[in-house]
Amino acid sequence: MRLNKGFAAVALNLLAILGGCGGALAQADCKTLVKASPFGPSDETGATNRITPAVTKAAAAEIQSGQVISMAYNLVDGVPLFGTRFTKTVLTSFALVPGAEYGKNKLSYMEDTYLSQSHVGTHIDGMGHIGIQDCYYNQTSMGKYVTQNYLKKLGLENIKSFATRGVIIDLVKVFQQAGKLKTNPACQTPCLDGGTVITEADIQAGLKMYNVTLREGDAVFLHTGWGDLFKQFPAKNADYNKAEPGLSKSAAEWLASQNVVVVGADTWAVEVIPSENTDEAFPVHAILLTNNGIHIIENVRTDLIAADAANSNRATFFLSMTVPKAVGATGTFVNIEAIR
Amino acid sequence: MPHFKETPAALDRRRLLLGGVWALITATTSGAGAQGRRFRIAFANQNEDPSIRLDGLGFTGMDVRRSFELAARTMPVEMTYYDNAGEGEKALANADDAIDRKIDLFIGYNVDADANAEIGRRLRAAGIRALAVNYPIPGAPLYTADNLSAGGIAGHALGDFARQNWSGQSVVAVIVGDLGDIRPSMTDRIQGIVEGLQRDLPDITLTRLDTSGNPVRIEGLLGKFLRAQTGRKVLIAALDDATALAAKTAIQVAGRLGDCIIVSHGVDHSVHGGAADKKELDPNNRGSILQGSVAFFLDRYGYEVLPIALRMLAGEHVPLRIATKHILITGQNVFQVYPPFDMN
Repeated sequence: MRLNKGFAAVALNLLAILGGCGGALAQADCKTLVKASPFGPSDETGATNRITPAVTKAAAAEIQSGQVISMAYNLVDGVPLFGTRFTKTVLTSFALVPGAEYGKNKLSYMEDTYLSQSHVGTHIDGMGHIGIQDCYYNQTSMGKYVTQNYLKKLGLENIKSFATRGVIIDLVKVFQQAGKLKTNPACQTPCLDGGTVITEADIQAGLKMYNVTLREGDAVFLHTGWGDLFKQFPAKNADYNKAEPGLSKSAAEWLASQNVVVVGADTWAVEVIPSENTDEAFPVHAILLTNNGIHIIENVRTDLIAADAANSNRATFFLSMTVPKAVGATGTFVNIEAIR
Repeated sequence: MPHFKETPAALDRRRLLLGGVWALITATTSGAGAQGRRFRIAFANQNEDPSIRLDGLGFTGMDVRRSFELAARTMPVEMTYYDNAGEGEKALANADDAIDRKIDLFIGYNVDADANAEIGRRLRAAGIRALAVNYPIPGAPLYTADNLSAGGIAGHALGDFARQNWSGQSVVAVIVGDLGDIRPSMTDRIQGIVEGLQRDLPDITLTRLDTSGNPVRIEGLLGKFLRAQTGRKVLIAALDDATALAAKTAIQVAGRLGDCIIVSHGVDHSVHGGAADKKELDPNNRGSILQGSVAFFLDRYGYEVLPIALRMLAGEHVPLRIATKHILITGQNVFQVYPPFDMN
């Protein structure tokens, strides 16, 4: 047995040496670090492959009253951001000065310039956002595809439709009903405190509360109440950013096993911060994005849809959200609406 | 490869080990029919006054307390927390309260040896298991910092730097910090530094500059010392991070940045930050004269100590002394050991 192990070790070392030319070795590493896409080796789309015409048609049945509920925050200077991140709009006024109008009809006009990073406000994380070492979604060795301006693989232009069913999971109610809600004093309405771990049992309790069974292609949104601090910007930006309630790793794995396409939350990272293991960095991001191609949407406004779900006892809706086909981008701010 | 520079592979091995321990705990607790059982554990913290630093380092009792709160989130435990307030009497009263509550296990972090002896006796009489942190409770396993080893890592890091970069030049060494603190933990740390330095530089001239517990005092002391060391290279071992940062200021003021290198102890929040919250130990600041700091992980004690407690509660044998695995944190590995979370 010992001899066999020794032989195997020597053989592996030889293979490693023989395969030591850069590209081949990197590819082999990605195959051990990241899962392959179930949609094939050339897949750059990820979970939105699951939104088939049948999924969209079934989701359309969620539109019953036509009521539209916003699930995005206003994009405005002063919202919580980290460090050097910024979002700044510059208004360019053309021909507004008296006498500078165009034509006999005195037409004037204005435009804006967005000086903004993409991961600000209510925003979606694309497949190019998170990797393990240089290995990204579908075992893509990204080092080969990075240019100064954009990614040559896994950009947002590869995403398909988000015309699917949305499901709101009200964790505030789950924790209240379980008698374990520990709110944060900075929240003006009940919220899960920063560092609160949301388990798969909590998710399942939230689904059971409204008698929902997840189905393939669903977009799942978590209402933790933490977004209350976002709404208090800029006064509570530091509180908002320093921690958050969020998914445990096992809860993320469970959601992935349900073949959902999106996990969003009223928090800045969707996952629990500080992490379950404080020497790990954003493990849920890697589980959802890198290994399963599931988009993460952060800073989602969930309070309105959660309140409507509580009033109507219905937690599902038709998701209205489109993503600009920004070639080679890793993420972008989005507008989201729940249509009931 | 000097042993103090932990490689990513070594870090992975550490994580694997921790994961393995946790898997073992999970397996043993469930295997022993304890599935679903939540153990009642009390943690009596040394001192939670935010102005008090623990064990000659930059950590506060709240750092330690928070680590227990975070670690407990995903463990089958119900925690009760006490603040010993640095007083033996308070520690005894806290232990009595924990005994009255019929807890399953008591974790004590208390500097008073006499009080610890009495706490150990009372817990034994009540049939409650005990686990000590940094200061022994008779009969209880001890989780402790290994100051001799930590000092050795710092001393060796300095000596190795001098050997590699200042070969053939005149080099002196200086230990800075609260040298009047005669607790064994501090004398061990100093002894470790000396031994570590002498491993690489057996004939090094060593000076000690005592701040008497006030890190700012080092600015004057070191400034004067540097003026007397014209043309020499200076290795500086700081007993804590605050003193290291003050020493760096003194070196800047003296215009001797090219002649000095500092290694510190602790890795508290004053020297490591995040992606946006830049501090001295940062991947983008690898040229700093603060070459590194030896990690004591007081802000992760909960993650280290609670698994030991659960092993004891599962009936496993636990060694009588379990030491912190100190490593040197530099700009190269700081984000691997302390990943920043200020991005999304």
